Amino acid sequence: MTAAQPLEKRVHIIQGEFFVTTDKSVMVTTILGSCVAACIRDPLAGVGGINHFLLPGELGRGKSNEAERMGVHLMEMLVNGLLKVGARRERLEAKLFGGASTVRSHSDIGKHNAEFAQRFLKAEGIAFVGGSTGGPKGRRIQYWPVLGRARQILLAGQTEIEPPVKLPAASIDANAGELELF
Amino acid sequence: MPSMQQLSILVVDDTSVSRALLTDSLDQIGLKSFKVAKDGEEGLKMMLTAPCHLVISDFNMPKIDGIQLLRALRQHTPTSKVGFILVTGKGDKALIDEGKKWGLNNFLAKPFSVPQLKTCIEAVVGKLT
Repeated sequence: MTAAQPLEKRVHIIQGEFFVTTDKSVMVTTILGSCVAACIRDPLAGVGGINHFLLPGELGRGKSNEAERMGVHLMEMLVNGLLKVGARRERLEAKLFGGASTVRSHSDIGKHNAEFAQRFLKAEGIAFVGGSTGGPKGRRIQYWPVLGRARQILLAGQTEIEPPVKLPAASIDANAGELELF
Repeated sequence: MPSMQQLSILVVDDTSVSRALLTDSLDQIGLKSFKVAKDGEEGLKMMLTAPCHLVISDFNMPKIDGIQLLRALRQHTPTSKVGFILVTGKGDKALIDEGKKWGLNNFLAKPFSVPQLKTCIEAVVGKLT
């Protein structure tokens, strides 16, 4: 007779979302085509998380173009979420998944998404420890954020392009009142 | 009505890619006189040494967050009246209200566009010429 195993908690995320946990029994799933998921954790603090993003529009026009804002936003939200629950930036390690080539578009959006994620990790000094990007097939990802364990299941057939989620309108106060410059 | 050359800006963000996005946006607007700080602590030191007209700061930062930076600046005479725009991951009302208690001039929720950043800055300093 074996001791009962604690139940695994499953969470599913979709494009435009991120998730952070300190619970090692949590397993996160997501389905990726040309989108990319960054799986980041601090092994010492026992915290981890994942996001799922697709850069909208034309890409590859430089490091700081309009299309990258959603990616930067979701990467930052994930990193900030990890830091809030005890992670240290210098201990973060990441795996990247997704970025498949698409059928309908001749542009290689998936490749650009994966390259953007790699550039972000490098710029922020986050260690890249593995994953799987590119290729013609979509992926189902299972990720245990605290343990850092990841499993991918390649989907049958070629993947189709996913429509990017629209950027939400940024909140600003357009009538904040003028400032007297000194 | 400030000229683009006249307005000096300090960008404070602990994420280097976000700093690059912000400075790239300022450059696109035509604002060339900006400095950057990699966190709130460095931003405060820079402002106390050589104040800028306007601070555009992230909220989530280690050691000194955006609201703590704002409070510190308001408590020092040389920096008590500088413009302050808080950039947040979400338009959190409680956070904005807390900022307003300390004289927050405006806020901007990420992800933002270049025109939105320009509107936000102009609401604080007046129409840029």
